Amino acid sequence: MLNFFYNSNIYNWLGRLINFINSIFFPFLLVGLSFALIFSPPDYLQGDSVRIMYVHVPAAWIGLASFTCIALLSIFNFIFKIKNLILITKSIAPIGLMFTCIAIVTGSLWGQPTWGTFWVWDARITSMVILALFYVIFIIAHKLISKEDKANKISSLIAVIGAINIPIIKYSVEWWNTLHQPASIKLTGESSIHSSMLMPLLLMFFVLILYCALIFLMKYKTEIIRIKKKNLKRL
Amino acid sequence: MIQTFLSMNGYGLFVWGSFAITFIACGLLYYKTFKTLKKHERDFAKEINELSSERKKIVIENSKIASQVLSSSSKTI
Repeated sequence: MLNFFYNSNIYNWLGRLINFINSIFFPFLLVGLSFALIFSPPDYLQGDSVRIMYVHVPAAWIGLASFTCIALLSIFNFIFKIKNLILITKSIAPIGLMFTCIAIVTGSLWGQPTWGTFWVWDARITSMVILALFYVIFIIAHKLISKEDKANKISSLIAVIGAINIPIIKYSVEWWNTLHQPASIKLTGESSIHSSMLMPLLLMFFVLILYCALIFLMKYKTEIIRIKKKNLKRL
Repeated sequence: MIQTFLSMNGYGLFVWGSFAITFIACGLLYYKTFKTLKKHERDFAKEINELSSERKKIVIENSKIASQVLSSSSKTI
């Protein structure tokens, strides 16, 4: 059973998974875009500008979820010292950074027709910018520190410190008076979004998750090859 | 009808701008990741091919990944 977790077996499965996701991605993307841009109704207050939600909200969820994963895996790495966890965090970070930036930019584009301004130093938006900065510091730590062990320790520490920002982002709309609206979708309790909008939103989220999986698998595969290349003399 | 769809009742610039930024960013990251993966695969295959035949045989026997990268690179060629 544990044999599965050897890099050679994982590498074999990575290739298969990449091919599988490649084969199903575009049909799902077409369906998701059709619902987001054509079939979903305009909002009674915001009109068609509400369609920005179908990229903004999944991007924000992915940005938050990615950093939560990185922080948890970094804590596990501190405790169990599993090298693969570092490979995973390194592969997730660029994806999380990109989606955090997408959430900020699309949120800004949504802000202009809704609030009348592209930018305010509002608690939710500011905490998202701080999240993007933590991603940047995490990635730079891996790029600039040449000693791998030191880089891993410092980046893990950055991730753990950055994790404090995650609940701040989540509850910023409740703790402070913000322009940003409170969450419409709740895991516990009733969501205030209509199913005609919830369905396309979840569909677009699924499409972007597929995309993230694809990028993650390719990055993970690259990391494995990089390590194998470094250890070629030892084989 | 197409005009209405494109203008999104006056919100076209914001809606299409958001979708365009998202998909351009995703496309660029995909392209960069794919290129980097292929470059590493090529470099790894090249390094294995530069080894002496005896050493190459040992590497292929000991590393499934090395043999997979070699076979995939030979398919590409």
